Amino acid sequence: MSGETITRKKKKFTEEPNFTERKTYRPKDVKETGLAFIGHEISEDGKAMNQFLHYDQLYTIRHGQNSKFFIGLLDGKLWGTRCPKCGDTWVPVRTHCWNLDCNLEKTEWVEMPLTAKIHTWTIAGWSGRSSLKRLPIVLVYAVIGNSKVAIANELHGIDPWDVEFGMPLKIIFKPKEERHGIVTDFHFEPTDDWEPTPITEEKERIKQLVEPVYQWVKTLK
Amino acid sequence: MSRKVCIVGGATTPFDYGPTGFENIEGGAADCIRETREEIPEFSMRDLDLMIYSHFSVHFGHQLCSEWIVHDHLGLVGVPHYRVENGGNTGGSALYAAALAVMSGHHDVVGVVGWETMDSVSQSQGSEFIALASDIRYELLVGGIYPIYYAAMANKWMKDNNVSEEDVATIGAKNRNNAMDNPKAQWYRNEHKYITTEDVMNSRLISYPIKKYDCCLMSRGVAFTLVCSEEYAKKINPDGYVTIDGMGLSSCTIRAGDRLNFPGWTERYGKGYPEMTEFGACRNAADQAYKMAGIENPRKEIDFGEIHDAFSTSEAQIYKALYLADENNIAQFLRDESTHMHGEIPMNPGGGLMGYGHPVGATGLMSTIECFYQLSDLIPKKHLSKKTEVPDAKCGIVNSHAGTGTSISNFILRRC
Ligand SMILES: [Zn+2]
Repeated sequence: MSGETITRKKKKFTEEPNFTERKTYRPKDVKETGLAFIGHEISEDGKAMNQFLHYDQLYTIRHGQNSKFFIGLLDGKLWGTRCPKCGDTWVPVRTHCWNLDCNLEKTEWVEMPLTAKIHTWTIAGWSGRSSLKRLPIVLVYAVIGNSKVAIANELHGIDPWDVEFGMPLKIIFKPKEERHGIVTDFHFEPTDDWEPTPITEEKERIKQLVEPVYQWVKTLK
Repeated sequence: MSRKVCIVGGATTPFDYGPTGFENIEGGAADCIRETREEIPEFSMRDLDLMIYSHFSVHFGHQLCSEWIVHDHLGLVGVPHYRVENGGNTGGSALYAAALAVMSGHHDVVGVVGWETMDSVSQSQGSEFIALASDIRYELLVGGIYPIYYAAMANKWMKDNNVSEEDVATIGAKNRNNAMDNPKAQWYRNEHKYITTEDVMNSRLISYPIKKYDCCLMSRGVAFTLVCSEEYAKKINPDGYVTIDGMGLSSCTIRAGDRLNFPGWTERYGKGYPEMTEFGACRNAADQAYKMAGIENPRKEIDFGEIHDAFSTSEAQIYKALYLADENNIAQFLRDESTHMHGEIPMNPGGGLMGYGHPVGATGLMSTIECFYQLSDLIPKKHLSKKTEVPDAKCGIVNSHAGTGTSISNFILRRC
């Protein structure tokens, strides 16, 4: 054994990112309380008991090699990746090519155009708790630029029953101060020259289905 | 050649949501095994030489390795055990693992216990937990719940195949009405009513074209299946065992939008595979299972199925992936009520996920158990009547399905 002394340092021996920009949007009511049993109930006959366990935890999603995509969202840019071997391009991004013949070739970043085309669509009349007040929501899978895959996001600026397969879209970013570096920093809208087609039986059916949704949303506090 | 794999018994707890007084999983597991022993009293706990536990999300129980609690409770200390997790296909994947263990010759008698306790959090939180199996960076934020992704896939599929909203709504009514003959089914235990296609059409919009009664249920439940070698099956249940003659497991992308054109698939399966409209993994897993079981014409050679009807639309998509119909006749296949009890190939006589329930880790096992009951003449005993018995069934298919079609397994079961 050599007499070398290893002093414990915070700094690692490998290069690490130095995080200089930090923002939190944490709601006031998120507290990391750890695990706690905070109550119970017992049935009238004394035979069944339920206990209430509370837990909330902040997670750090480390984007690593994917970071450029999410930083791009903050800047109002859509980054895709392209395989230099087979030429395929994707948004959502792949940092290594999944074409088995490319043997996980490292891909290169390419800035994507802010235009897309609908592959398929749906109209949500129900959603996660945080989105209920915005119902009904038109959700589309759309192909951005020359991407080989489709990405899911919301379509705004349209009556839900007017959405159609193959329709051309533009990508609109939220105002800079409202962006969080997440996919909902942008949404789709119909291109300026797009016009809805005349009312059809299916459009009438969709109107009939979404009408109660509009009514129900009005009752939400 | 590998050994034959058999199923000799199995049972579930009642599937339910909310308080019933017997919620704990280890007690439920023990009750399932006790019920299994009613048909095969010769089976001893001492015979088990491997336990596979089938459980999807620790978020629901907030207990890591809850299988260890079940294992201890069953008195199996010292018997090897591990857990299988594969989204909605957790049950099918656990069965696959058990079959491989027996096939290899390394194990003879394998117990599979599956469960989920989705009522331990609020309904909306439960939906969000399930949606955590979508890619949280790209899809959770924009959809938030699984039905939305399925609706987008189904919408295009229905257009491409000339299938109408009414056509798929028949499935939502069929499975719930089948469940009315099954006292363990959540629909029987809760809503408890016969419904019509019109009721499905009039139920509230979840995500076009999917409505409330096109969707499966969130559930709590436990299931047990006993998988073994043929030698053991002949000893323990000589007249009622069932053989796993074919099985297949395959995969597709986690994000449905990624599968527009996965290199190589379209060449193999034609337009639409994998795409967003067809369950490519289901077709691939069916190819494997049919080949292994020597099935050339599934619609003729399979008598019935217990399949993963997370949504009525996906049940219809699965029919096509299993080669029961193609784009030219799928609409007619649905209009002919081919998969109703009176049809040529009944699907989900047990009620399926929409009628029986969907406690994720137990679901694929529930389907397997219902299939086993049909093939070992136990339906009149386990259901309320013979209405949901498939007469003279010799061959059944079990289908288990995860994500947006991300992992899918198929099994061909035959009467001994
Ligand atoms: Zn490549």
